[in-house]
Amino acid sequence: MNTPREHIIKSYDDELTRLTGEIVRMGELAVTQLESAIDVVERRDERAAQRVVDNDEAIDALEQEISHDVVRLLALRAPIAGDLRNVFAALRIAADIERIGDYAANVAKRSIPLSMVAPISAAAKLGYLAELAASEVRTVLTAYRDRDAEAAYQVWKDDADLDEAYTGLFRELLTYMMEDPRNITPCTHLLFMAKNIERIGDHATNIAENVWFVVHGEPLVAPRAKRDLTASPDFDRK
Amino acid sequence: MTNMNEAAPSFAATAQTGKPDNSQFPTKMTVRDLNFHYGDFHALKNIAMDIPEKKVTAIIGPSGCGKSTLLRIFNRIYAIYPKLVATGEIVLDGENILDAKYSLNRLRSKVGMVFQKPVPFPMTIFENVAYGIRHHEKLSRADMESRVEQALRSAALWDEVKDKLKQSALGLSGGQQQRLCIARGIALKPEVLLLDEPTSALDPIATSRIEQLVEELKNDYTIVIVTHNMQQAARCSDLTAFMYMGELVEFDRTEKIFTKPNKKQTEDYITGRFG
Repeated sequence: MNTPREHIIKSYDDELTRLTGEIVRMGELAVTQLESAIDVVERRDERAAQRVVDNDEAIDALEQEISHDVVRLLALRAPIAGDLRNVFAALRIAADIERIGDYAANVAKRSIPLSMVAPISAAAKLGYLAELAASEVRTVLTAYRDRDAEAAYQVWKDDADLDEAYTGLFRELLTYMMEDPRNITPCTHLLFMAKNIERIGDHATNIAENVWFVVHGEPLVAPRAKRDLTASPDFDRK
Repeated sequence: MTNMNEAAPSFAATAQTGKPDNSQFPTKMTVRDLNFHYGDFHALKNIAMDIPEKKVTAIIGPSGCGKSTLLRIFNRIYAIYPKLVATGEIVLDGENILDAKYSLNRLRSKVGMVFQKPVPFPMTIFENVAYGIRHHEKLSRADMESRVEQALRSAALWDEVKDKLKQSALGLSGGQQQRLCIARGIALKPEVLLLDEPTSALDPIATSRIEQLVEELKNDYTIVIVTHNMQQAARCSDLTAFMYMGELVEFDRTEKIFTKPNKKQTEDYITGRFG
């Protein structure tokens, strides 16, 4: 963890600390939303699902607050060097978390039509995907809070596991649909939900890249292992 | 994984060699092993830097770091005090300007200087510019008029003073006076222009005018500017040197210094963490 010296102007430090705090708070809210979304899928609870959808507003509001603070910091403090990277990354990370929140809300939203049809065992697999995604987001938020580029880089690499799990579930859902056309409706919802969760992982890697940039001042450019093979033209042949 | 844990390769040597990384610019002035003492006080310690031609080089650093001393050595102003001696080399176009054989007259015609507070001579606007030229050259009246006009135009002052050239320069505003001093400096057609905190006594509008002028002047001159205003260094310079306690800590492209300086000392200073 790289702890910089304090600014001569103390309130500048307070504002930067507040910004980091807001990001972490927003991120925690998004992870809680994802966990609640999976919970309502498992419990088939429509009313709770609607509450998760509605709660997304709180994340959007926090993003607005962060944008406001960033503009204010840029205008009044004219940050440079490491401070500039911090402020710039905060804006980008907030946008990623906002998308994570949207995806979590989408999962909850689709759980409503899913709960109206007969339960399907593959729905349980969604929980594993969500666990991986939630763990990625939590770890990358800690890495952001601690300005720990190595930990962020680990998340960036580990996202391949989530991609792989998503590809596995995709394959499984296709099989279900081919077996029985009555599975098509729930499996289609599950496919979208799985894709949403897979995308959450991608946003966690974006955040990891920003943590890297804050610490090192350069982009993270190593080629990342991608194991979501579902878009590959020869996916069916594997 | 490609760039984990890899420090930028050549920056560690920057302050020692004085060559900023990625610098493709031809060098106008080469400083090597420069040392300077005020009595027992070692004001500049082994400075090495290459000042690029027709670029703006900013020198920043806290008070007493030696930045103004360095600037003043570039045209040997210290020479008025006989006991002060600079050792090392400052090579301008192949000749060491610190060499006693390098005449001050010749040096000052090649390296002009503008100070923090504008100091117009108590004479007309025209004479302020013509005075220095007369010292170095004999020109006909028409040539002199054209030369003065050219200098005032280059200093972005002509339009404001063309109808009052015979009036006292003391009646001009601070910003105009500073541009007049710049006109006075460039009237001698120097190759290097040294600006020692040229806007610290000016309001923001006058400051912007000078900064715009600096941007235009770098097409024809090599400019070295000492400034306390970090944002000014960021706005106007191509390269920035950070000095601390008589040493050149870091010298690099301005964009690099203000986004990702190599040294923690530089980062602490420019982000307001010093002290």
